[in-house]
Amino acid sequence: MWKIAGKRGVLISKEDLVTYSYDATTTWTHMPDVVVLPTTTEQVSQILKLANENQIPVTPRGAGTNLSGGSIPLKGGIVLCTTKMNRILEINKGNLVATVEPGVVLQDFNLALAKEDLFYPPDPQSFLSCTMGGTVAENASGPYCLKYGVTKQYVLGLEVVLANGYVMKIGGVTVKNRTGYELVMLFTGSEGTLGVITKITVRLLPMPPASKSMMAIFDDMAVGGEAVSNILANGLIPAKVEFVDNFAIRRIEEMMPMGLPVEANALLLLQTDGSSAAVEAETQQIISILKKNGAIDVKVAKDEVEAAMYWRMRTAGFAAVFSAAHTVMAEDVTVPRDKLAEFIRKLGEISERTGFFIQFLGHAGDGNLHPSIFTDIRDKEQFAKAQDAMAEVFRAAMALGGVLSGEHGIGLEKRRFLKEAMDPVAIELMKKIKGILDPNHILNPGKIWEE
Amino acid sequence: MAKSIDFAEINRFESDLESCMKCGFCTFWCPVYQEERVESCVARGKNMMIRALIAGELEYTKEYTERLNTCTLCMACTTNCPAQVQIPRVIVAARADKVRAKGVSFPYNIIYRWLLPRRALFGHVIRCASWFQGIFLPKTKGTIRHLSLFLSALGKGRHIPQIAPRFLRQMVPVVNKPSAGIDTVMRTGYFSGCMTDFVFPELGEKVIDFLTKNGVEVVVPKEQGCCGAPVFLGSGDFETGRKLADTNAKTFEDFDYVVTDCATCSSALKDYVKLLANTPQRKQAYAKFADKIKDITELLVDVLKLPALAYIASSEVQGRKVTWHDPCHLSHYMGVTKQPRQILKSIPNIEYVEMPNADRCCGMAGTFSIRFYDLSKKITEKKLASIDATGADIVVTGCPGCKIQLIDSTVQHGKPVKVMHIMELLE
Repeated sequence: MWKIAGKRGVLISKEDLVTYSYDATTTWTHMPDVVVLPTTTEQVSQILKLANENQIPVTPRGAGTNLSGGSIPLKGGIVLCTTKMNRILEINKGNLVATVEPGVVLQDFNLALAKEDLFYPPDPQSFLSCTMGGTVAENASGPYCLKYGVTKQYVLGLEVVLANGYVMKIGGVTVKNRTGYELVMLFTGSEGTLGVITKITVRLLPMPPASKSMMAIFDDMAVGGEAVSNILANGLIPAKVEFVDNFAIRRIEEMMPMGLPVEANALLLLQTDGSSAAVEAETQQIISILKKNGAIDVKVAKDEVEAAMYWRMRTAGFAAVFSAAHTVMAEDVTVPRDKLAEFIRKLGEISERTGFFIQFLGHAGDGNLHPSIFTDIRDKEQFAKAQDAMAEVFRAAMALGGVLSGEHGIGLEKRRFLKEAMDPVAIELMKKIKGILDPNHILNPGKIWEE
Repeated sequence: MAKSIDFAEINRFESDLESCMKCGFCTFWCPVYQEERVESCVARGKNMMIRALIAGELEYTKEYTERLNTCTLCMACTTNCPAQVQIPRVIVAARADKVRAKGVSFPYNIIYRWLLPRRALFGHVIRCASWFQGIFLPKTKGTIRHLSLFLSALGKGRHIPQIAPRFLRQMVPVVNKPSAGIDTVMRTGYFSGCMTDFVFPELGEKVIDFLTKNGVEVVVPKEQGCCGAPVFLGSGDFETGRKLADTNAKTFEDFDYVVTDCATCSSALKDYVKLLANTPQRKQAYAKFADKIKDITELLVDVLKLPALAYIASSEVQGRKVTWHDPCHLSHYMGVTKQPRQILKSIPNIEYVEMPNADRCCGMAGTFSIRFYDLSKKITEKKLASIDATGADIVVTGCPGCKIQLIDSTVQHGKPVKVMHIMELLE
């Protein structure tokens, strides 16, 4: 291994292995046997060849900010960490595409694009730390995806190293490409189980010239949910619509006092963007729809500082929730947007029936809520009950036509529900694809489905 | 290593250790991670290592110590942490528990346990070092030379200012009253850190001169010692740290304010209560002491509330373009960022430009830069790029530690930028 990645690229001390045994979930950890940090595609290829020949498990990892258990080396072996492959290879303004290495941090990428008045919309809330490779492997998304779509709508081309070490190029640098099967989509969202992504070409957008942020206060969360459906039904698509519940409002205000309305039952944070005339008109329309649909108050950020405060609050939501208990089960079920209010009421019923408080905040605009249950994995009995309660949440979402995971991926966290969420033939098909691409099952073993 | 290991110091920060939810936001702000891109460098990784140590999964190994030390303690992670986890303080506490279990390593044991608490003797040793420095080592540019002995550890080819021919304590009296005709508006203690005392005594003179001109009686008690930053922050030697802390807190017992011109010193003095207070008496004494500590810019802007007219540019800096580098101990530890900028913007006849990423660490970080010189230099290069982007003639800061790092790096890279402490700009 030293021969391939050099002494500084291979970590074997127990101290280092501990630091690659976790991701951002609170439930899963497992130690790898070795961590490799390659700097080139050639090194990745050699590592995979070696691992394949010796049948050693390889868990690809970016910054380890994922919320699915996806980057946990469940079977030990090698953690292949891409953080040192962090060059932005090209930003092509004329073609509105960019090519990056997988270890480029999303925020660094957007800062580089901003210098050219360009913009890459998919914005998982870990944008300060997550890597581009991770966002593609998880098909990540965030608030902006309501208007602009998720990662898969931006990936045009990939360089992927297959389990046997072969370096394969798929897709290209054009927005339209109808050559063969959509193999780029196969690897986007593959959670590191089919290959290791070593180059990514994405399409870009010009930076919207203007934006406005709003904060709407509701005394009933479900009414807030109805308001969101009504905005969309009126033909308006804001850039972002985010939900923050009373629990998160209080926690955030406690952690970083910024004068939030702590009495509010729920907040909707909204943003419009585009040309300044369009932003102005849309903002006024949205305000009037919100007020007609039960908002007690709607505030419009007077300047960029205030707008930044609204969105900092949303980003802090993660910490507000995850620091609330020893073990936090934070899920990302997603329901059709016209079922949002119904789903919120269902959550209330489940909470009452199971006795677990269900906190949630999330992307109201695309029906992607993050219901969380607070528990303690050390208390086996309570933890089992919490898992049952969460199972009810999943089932309620699926009964409404929703999905098991909107953006986090299945990983380890939701394996046990896959059979309920997918056609058995489709699951078989996935397993067959996996068998063709990775016959020795070395790539991220143990993820997505239970063995 | 099943025998009972005591984590008394770490346990005081248990809630910090527990409230890290591993989001990894710290990776973006960590100067060390930005260079290395390896998880053990960043707050989240260190937090998990310390948790593993307590759980008995890790032991006190060479690797553990090295990874724990790979931190500039800049505190940018905490400032930007959604849960405000104070990992740098946990790291310091972890160093302390290790010292209690394993002792302090050579040569730090000699310097810290024996020499630093004896201020006068320490001065003599430094003095000897400066003679040898003059005899054996070639002069480089201007007043900048290579140093030997104590500061040679910092040296390693560094360009740093020579030990002053006379120390501040030999240059100024204990009591400095406002000049005749100026009313005394207040009385303050002055804590002169080691750098100001031994390397930049003219800075200390300038501070005293400026304050007395503005009606402040400045007392420089001879009993004061080292602030202890390299001892308890850098090496986790809390036992010696407490001796220094007790001395300093007692020395300034009768003052309402204690002013310093060294960001590291002031934040170390303020941190006694957070890190070293192991008894109720110490807690009370250190808390009282912490409230008195003011950085010079805080004293001028928040306490004395000097009018803009009070700030006049010295002839040397008239017409120059200046920018400000936030010392971590001032910005991330003490939250002092507005005061120095207000002063710089008040000075007529100079142009102030804001530096991009002004609050990013310069890479000095005391003991860190001795242990990891190459890494420290890489971090500084980012700072130099920020300075370049401003086009400033003078980079101004508030900590002699940062000043040494910036002088060294600007000289090494042949930059025509002058590095000055904010007080040196003033007439």
